[in-house]
Amino acid sequence: MSGDPSRPFKWVTVVCSVVTVVFLVAAAVRENISGDWRGNQQVFRAILESKAKDEAARAAARKLPIEIRQVAVPALHTVDRCVSCHLGIDDPRMTDQPNPHRTHPKKLLAIHRVEKFGCTVCHQGQGAALNFQEAKAEDYFWDYPLLPAKYTEATCASCHDPRALPPGSADKLVLGMKLFEQKGCNGCHKLNGKGGQLGPVLDNEGLKTKHEFVRASLRGSQTNWNWFGEHFRDPAGIVAGSLMPMPALSQPQVEALTVFMLSLRQRDLPAEYLAPDKIDEQYARLHPTAPDGAELYHRYCAACHDTGLHSRWDKKFARFVPGIRNAAFIRTEDDECLAENIREGRPGTRMPGWGPKAGGLSEAEVGALVAYLRTSAPAMNLPAAPARGDAARGVRLFAQECAGCHGMDGKGLIAPALANPVFQKAATDEFIAQTVRGGRENTPMPAFGRAGFTESQIGDLLAFIRKWQPPLQQARSQQ
Amino acid sequence: MTPIQEFIQNLKETPKNLRESAMRNGKAPETDRERSQSTFHNLFLHLQSVRTDRRSLRFTYTFGLGLILTASFVVLTITGILLMVYYKPGVELAYNSVKDIHFVVPAGRFIRNIHRWSAHLMVLAVFLHMARVFYTGSYKKPREFNWLIGLALLVFTLGLSFTGYLLPWDQLAYWAVTIGANIANSPREVTDALGITAWFDPGGFQKQLLLGANHVGQESLIRFYVLHVAVLPLLLTAFMGLHFWRVRKDGGLSRDERLPAPPARIGDRDVEVFAPTKTYGLMAVVRGRTPVVGRAPEGSVPSWPNLWWAEMAAFMFTIAVTLVLSYFFDAPLKEMANPAIPENPAKAPWYFLGLQELVSYSAFMGGVGIPTIVLVGLGLIPYLDRDPRGVGIWFGGETGRRTFWQSLGYGLISVLGLLVVTVNLGWLRTWFPTIPQIFIIILNPATVIVALYAAWSLWVLRRTASLRMSAVALFTCFLAGFVVLTAMGSIFRGPNWHFYWWPSQWPTH
Amino acid sequence: MSDSPKRRDFLGLAALWTSVLAMGTALAGVMRLPKPAVQPGPLRVFKLGDPAQFAVGSVTRIESGGFFLFREEQGFHAISSTCTHLGCVVALNEGEGFACPCHGSRFSSDGSVVGGPAPAALPWLQIALSPDGQLQVNAESSVRKGTHFRV
Repeated sequence: MSGDPSRPFKWVTVVCSVVTVVFLVAAAVRENISGDWRGNQQVFRAILESKAKDEAARAAARKLPIEIRQVAVPALHTVDRCVSCHLGIDDPRMTDQPNPHRTHPKKLLAIHRVEKFGCTVCHQGQGAALNFQEAKAEDYFWDYPLLPAKYTEATCASCHDPRALPPGSADKLVLGMKLFEQKGCNGCHKLNGKGGQLGPVLDNEGLKTKHEFVRASLRGSQTNWNWFGEHFRDPAGIVAGSLMPMPALSQPQVEALTVFMLSLRQRDLPAEYLAPDKIDEQYARLHPTAPDGAELYHRYCAACHDTGLHSRWDKKFARFVPGIRNAAFIRTEDDECLAENIREGRPGTRMPGWGPKAGGLSEAEVGALVAYLRTSAPAMNLPAAPARGDAARGVRLFAQECAGCHGMDGKGLIAPALANPVFQKAATDEFIAQTVRGGRENTPMPAFGRAGFTESQIGDLLAFIRKWQPPLQQARSQQ
Repeated sequence: MTPIQEFIQNLKETPKNLRESAMRNGKAPETDRERSQSTFHNLFLHLQSVRTDRRSLRFTYTFGLGLILTASFVVLTITGILLMVYYKPGVELAYNSVKDIHFVVPAGRFIRNIHRWSAHLMVLAVFLHMARVFYTGSYKKPREFNWLIGLALLVFTLGLSFTGYLLPWDQLAYWAVTIGANIANSPREVTDALGITAWFDPGGFQKQLLLGANHVGQESLIRFYVLHVAVLPLLLTAFMGLHFWRVRKDGGLSRDERLPAPPARIGDRDVEVFAPTKTYGLMAVVRGRTPVVGRAPEGSVPSWPNLWWAEMAAFMFTIAVTLVLSYFFDAPLKEMANPAIPENPAKAPWYFLGLQELVSYSAFMGGVGIPTIVLVGLGLIPYLDRDPRGVGIWFGGETGRRTFWQSLGYGLISVLGLLVVTVNLGWLRTWFPTIPQIFIIILNPATVIVALYAAWSLWVLRRTASLRMSAVALFTCFLAGFVVLTAMGSIFRGPNWHFYWWPSQWPTH
Repeated sequence: MSDSPKRRDFLGLAALWTSVLAMGTALAGVMRLPKPAVQPGPLRVFKLGDPAQFAVGSVTRIESGGFFLFREEQGFHAISSTCTHLGCVVALNEGEGFACPCHGSRFSSDGSVVGGPAPAALPWLQIALSPDGQLQVNAESSVRKGTHFRV
């Protein structure tokens, strides 16, 4: 008996069709009936009803539609659906409710209306999402997860000058800014165009995604704020081989600095979103007035030079750091030389240039730094330098007396590098001669004049030292 | 009847007349003749022959793969059109439009998932279908050209999957296409090594054509979109039509002509049947063999309803599997495309990962050389193996079955051995860092594996004196190689394309 | 009257071939469309400001341009950061060279391939001084390895 060849197929069709219907229904239920936001809206409706003052209000509350709600802000290119669960966010009556129904704290929404700002511009997170896990988007395929509450102040700086805000608004952020300046972070890190060049530029640190950080040793949530926290506790533990020196910080200080890092964002917000104090801050940055030399020293120089009164050996960088406020040194330099040293630094060493084209300090700021350094001692009239003598004799003298500290190649061991092109440019013969002759108090540099060096010997040394001058300069100085 | 009465009468009968005018049969068929007519007279159904050989309906013969493919295509077209209502092909808009489809579009998440899983299923099915057609010898005369059409369909299917891959504009998409475009650029490897790139640069030409620029950007997105929603679907539909038409004209699905047709039931007796060759007398004489209408006792059954139920079963099975997958697994979507941050590892879609593994040794060989060899080789199979025996039988018989298993073993061992060497010892450039690139193009794991497989196939040819057996040997080796290389690329390659046993061992960067 | 078959045939052939020519020409013209005549986006020539801001011995990664700028005693050179294998962005390991995260291609500090599947060295990009005195790197044009630009 051949049998009906289509029977097995009919069975398969029945089973598969039933499975299809089951899953279609399941998907429909999942989308249209379950869903956190629906439950939240139903609870909120009940809350509204319980808070209603009269029957009309209660009836209106009962009719609250359960639907997806969103705030679309084209100016910020954002559509935020947080309000699908947080319906009461700008309803002042909801302060006594648990989250997600609670009113936004600190009455902030009165001055930052939800329709104009949305939510993610301050809180980050995935605004398009309709459930909390995906809105928070932490350890998820989303570049900017929801900022923890303690770090939310970071985004205030996008529109405000934090220091102009009333106290209690962004205290952590302001503390972070102060710590950054006090601890001399600018000494190695450029920010807003000014700073050292030993570490990375920090201008957009707050908008770096987790993929732009070295996370091989990062434990815990893979977020940039966790990275900052760990980094401030132990830089070399997070970035292998990091030479970043880190003073001990308390937990609140670490958090404040983290908030500050998160606030560094190069984001183009439309002009209508910027507070007037922000515009003032940006203007002041471009047109700095009356710079304070001591403050500048603290911010840019102290990280390496400390007080500047003594030279030191930096263990981390395995490098000699001169005492730039040493009175004996300042006395022998004139203002122009000091300014040139500051402007151009020492190429090839850890001392970068700080002038407008390098470290970003304006001429006025360089001048203020010079004035601050000048407070160590007034400039003296340098005696005339001897004529340059015989370099062959000079090399023998140098090898005997100087190479031990300055290095036979002039690159500096535990004393400054004499072969450095900027040193050669800035230092006059008179300066070099006087330093050799008179030594430098409070440093290991002896006064060779008192030890018996003749002027002609000094002249020989001069001839030898000047051999390290770059060719162009040599041509000029020989004319 | 007065004219007014006639008018009213006609109006009352309109539903019945409308039905009967639209459907030429109008009522459910009861006799075999009526069943034949229902197929023959219907626009959609007459694509099928009026009668179907019983042996063609056996599940274990074809596994319904062709039908699964058709069903997947229908599902993809419908879900694709639905997605087009919300998807926006601009680099600023694409990603967010896909996010919105996932979060807020009614049924959007489900439909997007269906589209994604259906696409993967279709690519898987197309490889399995090709293997089935090959192993049952269903490419022999007169079906050679249909095999070539099928190869074209394979290429279009892969093309559709690849062009669709870019559209979400996320990190996965962007970097997979960057790699794909650079694979298209890989003829440069040869022209550079020969020093002729300045005058002859097919690699650069292909890349420009694909991307519309030197890098993946808005131009590329819109080109891929046009290819994905218009050009390739039209081509696929046209070639599918051609493919089905050829199936009809070549005599229906292949079957084992040695086996007697199952006896037919006439009245209360089983009657042996004979004479499978037949001519079709109704229209102009058609070359080749075609099924005949109206002659019951030769082991065929009416297509309506038997074939129709087989098709329904395949369709519903495909849909059921797709829906189950789509319910539980979301289609992936990573962060928005960021040209400054390469994915590490950046991986092509799974069906290209075998090629990507080969490409990691030599861009040209893996990206151009091997695919060309494989496609040309596949295309030549029906013209090189013209032995008509063994059609309709899996592996063509006992020898074939043995050859299959031996070749599978050989193929697996060769490719695994080669991978062990490259993972542990490296390749030419590890041992000779300054070696000119041309040596690497000629001697690299891809060329070595092809040579090993070809050698085996030639040995089988000598041993069995059968082109068919050597074809089975070669095809099976490549199948084994494809599976292993794909697994290698998907599972065992991590950041920097280093070898890791499990993804859990990958370092965070 | 005799209809010369040759004449009729000629017309038929002429009709066939001229229509083929017409459609072929149209097709050829149309086929030109997909190959871009202009590259979208701005020319990849990058002005980097005053050369003096780059200290001797420094390395600067210019992300927007896709290259690393080096300044040494002999002068400037710029090496592309696009891996020659499949276009991923290479990372710089200071002192050791470049490494590509995608398939493990490794390059020495002058861009030569020392490992992995990359078929060619990282190109050195052309550097010039713009008319207004800025350092200018042309990412669309490469120079021979070892060419330094002196300011």
